[in-house]
Amino acid sequence: MKKRKFVAVVLAGVVCLALMLASSWYSVTFNESRLVVPMNFSEYVFRIQDLPMICSISLFCLYFLYLSVLLIKGIIKNQINQPNGRYTRKINPKLGYLGFLGLTGFLGFWTYSIDKTFFPFLFFIFFGFFGFFYEGKMSGTLMDEMYRENQLKASAKANRISLAIIFLALIILGQGRIMVSLDFTLIAFVIAVTLAIALSLFLSQYLLYCYDHSEQDAESGE
Amino acid sequence: MPDFECNLKKFRQLKGMTQEQLAVQVGVRRETIMRLEKAQYNPSLKLAIDISRAVGAPIEEIFIFE
Repeated sequence: MKKRKFVAVVLAGVVCLALMLASSWYSVTFNESRLVVPMNFSEYVFRIQDLPMICSISLFCLYFLYLSVLLIKGIIKNQINQPNGRYTRKINPKLGYLGFLGLTGFLGFWTYSIDKTFFPFLFFIFFGFFGFFYEGKMSGTLMDEMYRENQLKASAKANRISLAIIFLALIILGQGRIMVSLDFTLIAFVIAVTLAIALSLFLSQYLLYCYDHSEQDAESGE
Repeated sequence: MPDFECNLKKFRQLKGMTQEQLAVQVGVRRETIMRLEKAQYNPSLKLAIDISRAVGAPIEEIFIFE
């Protein structure tokens, strides 16, 4: 993506977010928080004051759809540019910052305290995106037999560690004696499993990078 | 670490090739050739044969397993 287009996409996102915040403020201040707080849509009747919120939600959905289209187009373009799949995909190491999205998993504590919803804990899985940092560093690498061997070795080790964590969590939490209620046990188990999967996603990239860039290779040997 | 001796560097230099040239010829990365020369990587039979043909030396003289 060209820098100009990237800036335009980010700006559009900022505008969408600003409009959403402004319409939410309007709804909370002048429209009894309609479409902001959960409401029963079976009894919904349209009011002209709902329009800002409806517009900003539609705009946000359109923006999200546009981002999805961009992502799919990028993936297809990458596949076309890499004949026979002999090279690793080209991605920017800065995508590793997406790993911070894993912090949204903490929203689970808030949603659980409000309406017992615990699915946001699943967002801890986004910590796995930190692996993009190492995958990006190995962008466009020829996948020869040594690379593939290292890849298998790395993913096997990452999966083994992840499985061990899940197994331990199952043994410890499954007894039901540590947490005071079944709900907390379930939450702790969901957190343990999602973090283990995130760790596996990250480790498979990190270990591959380590195996491929071991210290011995620093010297050229020419 | 694989337990073998590798004479690839000697045969490559005799042939007047760089690691990069050999890597391109056999379809691997330069890092793979570097590790092979240090006997840190055990190649597949196909790669060993490709290397043997590229440097023009018998496979058993390039890779010596005790």
